[in-house]
Amino acid sequence: MLVLDDVTYTHPGQPAGYRFSMEAAAGTVTAVRGASGSGKSTLLDLIAGFLRPTAGRIELDGADLVALPPERRPISILFQSESLFEHLSAAENAALGLPPSTARAERDRQVATALAEVGLDGIGPQRSETLSGGQKQRVALARTLLRNRPVLLLDQPFSALDDDTPAATRPLVSTSMSRHGWITVLVSHHVDDIEVLARRVYAIENGALLREETTTAPR
Amino acid sequence: MPRFNSLTLPDRPIRILIGVAIAIGIAALVVLLFLAIAGAAAQQDATPHSTIDLPHLLVMTSTQAGLTTILSLTVGTALAWALNRLRFPGRDLVVGLFGSAIVTPGILVAFGLLAVWGRSGWVNGLWRSLFGTPLDIPIFGLGGILAAHLILDGAFAARVLLARLDAIPTARLKTGQSLGLTALQRFAIIDWPTLRGTLPGLGAIIFLLAFTSFPVVLLLGGGPANQTLEVAIYQAAKLDFDLTTAVTLALTQVAVCALIVIAAAAFAPVPPSLGSSRSPTWQDAAGPRTVQWIVLAAGILGFALPMLTIIVDGLSGIGPVLARPSFWNGVLTSLMIASAAATLTLLLAFGLCLARASTDRAGLRLTVAAPSYAYLAVPGIVLALGFFLLVRTMGILPAAAAPVVVVVANALLALPFAVATIGPPLDAIARSRGKLIRSLDLSGVRQFLAVEWPLVAPEAGLVVALAFCFSLGDLGVIAFFGTQDFATLPLLLSRALGAYRTNDAAAIAAIMLVLTVATFVLLPKLFARSAHARA
Repeated sequence: MLVLDDVTYTHPGQPAGYRFSMEAAAGTVTAVRGASGSGKSTLLDLIAGFLRPTAGRIELDGADLVALPPERRPISILFQSESLFEHLSAAENAALGLPPSTARAERDRQVATALAEVGLDGIGPQRSETLSGGQKQRVALARTLLRNRPVLLLDQPFSALDDDTPAATRPLVSTSMSRHGWITVLVSHHVDDIEVLARRVYAIENGALLREETTTAPR
Repeated sequence: MPRFNSLTLPDRPIRILIGVAIAIGIAALVVLLFLAIAGAAAQQDATPHSTIDLPHLLVMTSTQAGLTTILSLTVGTALAWALNRLRFPGRDLVVGLFGSAIVTPGILVAFGLLAVWGRSGWVNGLWRSLFGTPLDIPIFGLGGILAAHLILDGAFAARVLLARLDAIPTARLKTGQSLGLTALQRFAIIDWPTLRGTLPGLGAIIFLLAFTSFPVVLLLGGGPANQTLEVAIYQAAKLDFDLTTAVTLALTQVAVCALIVIAAAAFAPVPPSLGSSRSPTWQDAAGPRTVQWIVLAAGILGFALPMLTIIVDGLSGIGPVLARPSFWNGVLTSLMIASAAATLTLLLAFGLCLARASTDRAGLRLTVAAPSYAYLAVPGIVLALGFFLLVRTMGILPAAAAPVVVVVANALLALPFAVATIGPPLDAIARSRGKLIRSLDLSGVRQFLAVEWPLVAPEAGLVVALAFCFSLGDLGVIAFFGTQDFATLPLLLSRALGAYRTNDAAAIAAIMLVLTVATFVLLPKLFARSAHARA
């Protein structure tokens, strides 16, 4: 269980701050919706460790994460865009999810498996800059599979995709998340993303998280 | 806990420590050199015995630098305008030709001018064969200095300004084209607002280059009336052994250069502009196009003719020179010095720039970068004088210290350009990809090998090529430390000219030019290809 307990933060120079409390359970998607500038990215940055809260606790299964720098947190992130290093191939990008000490043959095997799992079998040698937006996000998802951290943060991951692509990519995320039992936090202002993926929904209003009742189960 | 930076930049304390150590080392060297210069001045109890008129030197140096700046900006603007408009086979070659001006050694341009316009030059030979009498062209003196500087700095300005014109947004051009703007309206409404922001900073750089010009003034100055500070320092220290005068001149030179550097820093930075030139085509009317062709033809002729002369004259008499062991020693020494200086420049630049990119603390970023930029205000001759005095103070024979000093001095002189070239892309990577790198927990080595090196390898290749070519063409430092056994190609060229061995000089100049152009063209490509293969 990921718990934010009265986590507060104020951006320098801004009068009003944020005060976040929420819970996200393993194997489910917890969605956070809100208008642009409402604080969705701030929330993810606090969980990921890119911002340090002025007060409050961020706990994963009872262990406090606040003192940990971003690279030490048990978290994977799927960014809205620029999730890949464009000069590397799809396989090289995915391989960044593995420890550098992984033997070459083992690395190649795991990367091929992960790319196949996201429906990109055989695309490994292709340069990332030549991939479509949806393919890039799936390569990033393959990397997330290889990293296999217990928490997955989705930062509007389908916003930059073509109209039809999110519909094809969402089920992949949902399946991967369920199979690995990740705690997934999704921020988005797209109703479709939230309806399809989320079991629990929060809305950001006036710098705070408000729990909403969901009327439909995730599809 | 991260100690040096924000949470969105990769946490690299070791990089920062290495960068700070390099910066402290460089700053300490600056202090030591100035202490050596000041100490030498204090020890000189004799009155200066050089007959040097400091106010005249300042006026002369400033006049030629000011005229060079005005002429270079004017010619550069005209050439950039013509090149931006015209499309023709071989255009990339012409753009590359102007781009190479930044690394063309001044001594080659001066020699090329003599080969074309001098008493025994092509033009005079043609005139004599046609009319029977020699043509008196004032190639020595202010005219010759300005012509050489115009070739070097006018082409450099053209390449920089062309990059600005190429960067004009397509939408703005389409709007102008749809309104049917005339060539004059187009220049006034679209081009000029784009160019004018770059002109002050570019002008300051050209003024600095001309103010500190050494080989051109040495070869084409033609006597004390046209001497500049840089040549006067060399003459006082090396020929007259008058350290008091040399030190006074050196301190004056550094003070003026520091003022120019500070002034230049207030202007908009000049972007690197050595890539290819691509922009949408919008042809002007026939009249302006004729003017553009004339401007371009004159520019190509002015820049390429001296270079072509060097190659033709040099290769025709190269046989005897190739048979001399001293020539091959010079080639080997030049290549070794240039390779070592280029490698050192790259290592220092990476050390400093990786550290600067790893922090967003303004004070720390300034601490790391500022010492390298100090060498912009220290011309090669002054740096050489400082090293010369420093090694003497330490009881080391200048000849014994020469190889190390020449490599270090040349690396330091190229360092500001290197930091300005690879610093911004490394900064951009850290800022745009910092979150991703941190979230993936990439190690510093993995970050460098997988992310930074593939992306900045072309710039690194450019840095190595620039430092190599600067060092290959250096005459200022080697003039102080060169000996009979330790001589580079520019020193051999200078000696050959001094001894009126024109054929030898032409052959050496041709080899230098071929090496310079080959390095400048091939090295960046090799680096880019190696990074491509690695990525």
